[in-house]
Amino acid sequence: MIKEFYFALYAIKKNIQNSAELRVSFLINIIGMSINNTAFIILWIFFVKSVGVINGWVAMDIIGLLGFGALSYGIVFSIGAGIRKLADYVATGIFDRFMLSPKNLLIRTATSFFSVSALGDIVFGVVCLVIYIISIHATIYQILLIGLLVIISVIVFLTAIITIYSMSFFFVDANLVTGSLFELFLTPSLFHGGAFQGVMRFIFTFIIPSLLIGALPVEIVRDVSLEKLLLVGSLAIFWFIISISIFNRAVKKYESSNFITFGN
Amino acid sequence: MNPNSIIVSNLSKKFSFPVKNPSVGWVKNLFFPETKKIVAVNDISFSVKHGERIAFIGPNGAGKSTTIKMLTGILFPTFGKINILGFDPTKNRKKLAYQIGTVFGQRSQLLPNLPLTDSLEFFGVMYDMPEKEIKKRIAELVKLFDLSSFIAQPVRKLSLGQRMRAEVAASLIHKPKIIFLDEPTIGLDVVAKKMLRDLLLKINKEENTTIFLTSHDVGDIESLCNRTIVINHGVIIKDLPTKNLTKTFIYEKYIDLVALSNFTIFPKLPEGITYSSKDKNKITVVVDINKINVQESLKKLLDLFEVKDIDVYNADLETVIRHIYERSSTSN
Repeated sequence: MIKEFYFALYAIKKNIQNSAELRVSFLINIIGMSINNTAFIILWIFFVKSVGVINGWVAMDIIGLLGFGALSYGIVFSIGAGIRKLADYVATGIFDRFMLSPKNLLIRTATSFFSVSALGDIVFGVVCLVIYIISIHATIYQILLIGLLVIISVIVFLTAIITIYSMSFFFVDANLVTGSLFELFLTPSLFHGGAFQGVMRFIFTFIIPSLLIGALPVEIVRDVSLEKLLLVGSLAIFWFIISISIFNRAVKKYESSNFITFGN
Repeated sequence: MNPNSIIVSNLSKKFSFPVKNPSVGWVKNLFFPETKKIVAVNDISFSVKHGERIAFIGPNGAGKSTTIKMLTGILFPTFGKINILGFDPTKNRKKLAYQIGTVFGQRSQLLPNLPLTDSLEFFGVMYDMPEKEIKKRIAELVKLFDLSSFIAQPVRKLSLGQRMRAEVAASLIHKPKIIFLDEPTIGLDVVAKKMLRDLLLKINKEENTTIFLTSHDVGDIESLCNRTIVINHGVIIKDLPTKNLTKTFIYEKYIDLVALSNFTIFPKLPEGITYSSKDKNKITVVVDINKINVQESLKKLLDLFEVKDIDVYNADLETVIRHIYERSSTSN
């Protein structure tokens, strides 16, 4: 397992170097994503200031929500952006390369690509969480809680994309299907947490785990709720096991193809 | 020790895919599509000894790539057993990967934006080789494949010939016992092709690497492989030493007739002799020696044509292979 992680880190390093060779594109991607996220947060803050408190959610909670969301998105797409390319890999036969590798298929696939814009998300997420910590006058306990919840968010995000993009093995040219499923998961995770109540909250917690990314972590930090922390942690482990199992079963459906491609 | 690198028993692979039925509406086609099943590989068996050089050939869609993908663990067989160096690719994919190398001519595995040396190092790390060993092996491969002039160039800037040499070098970084090559010379010029073939022969000789190659290029088969397996419609139709391939069609002889002045008329030929090509300077005929022997053919041809020179020869390998493909197509 140590060899697997060593190679994963090495592959990530090489992917960053590979992307950084195209310097202009590299920098534009990072700056562009930071501007995009800043515009998004300004929009939400104006919204919250006009509408007022909804189900206990205030403007700073939105910053916390976007902090968790952007940071987990950034980390996942820094270490595992290859998963998001699975539909292409499968449709074009590039996935052959990973089947021929002596490494764990999921780790090899995940680390096969680096999303440069994810660096912008990481920076943005960290800035948001720092602002959040300062503005809520977080205690040491809450700061530790935030650290733990970031790890849980990353795990949930990772499991969600593994599950979604594993569908690539079941459909011909699955780009549309996986793209739609990813939006279905991602969009609610960036919405105002107070808007999800009753059935909607149940669906987006237990069936589509979008609220586990940011909304529930913000509520856990705010309420210092160990019950919710236990629930979110258990769901993260549950989804992780399910997603690995789905991926391993899906791979057996792989049928390869003979498109002419370049590598990484 | 088992003398075989590869043992394949009763291997089959079926694919199914939805097909549009024009006689029903689009809703039914969308939700309840009919499926068509094709048998890409149908109950094939063969074995390959250590150090053998195998040409696995067949026309497009014959089942070559599907077979090679099952042997390397990319595809799961529908039926049958595969044993590669003692491993079952469906169960020991990772362990097997340490022992084999692969080159797919139409698909690069190198890092496009980084220098070639980074790609070679990448593969060394992937195969868990110590840093010192990686450096030593890269130096060996640079020398063997003459990569020094472009080792520092980004891969996307390499010519096709350079890239293919680099691909083969990368696939050999971990000293695999078998190398699988799927059309490695596709798109290469004659010089690059020869260079690549010579290199493959060299590693076969020096490192006793088993070579398993698919190609449409007769030159690859002729100059590189000591045994040829022909597959068509998913079935093995020939498995014999490459040098014996031409004897397969020994009942056919080719005769070139060079005109004394110019051929102006092309009369009907006796039974058993057919025109292969007609030109005012040269005629080539094919003689079916089951119907007419060479001596009789020559007599009859000389009665029909005034010639300056005559050449009698067997079919070349390309013609033989074409015949094999055509025969197996008509028999199916």
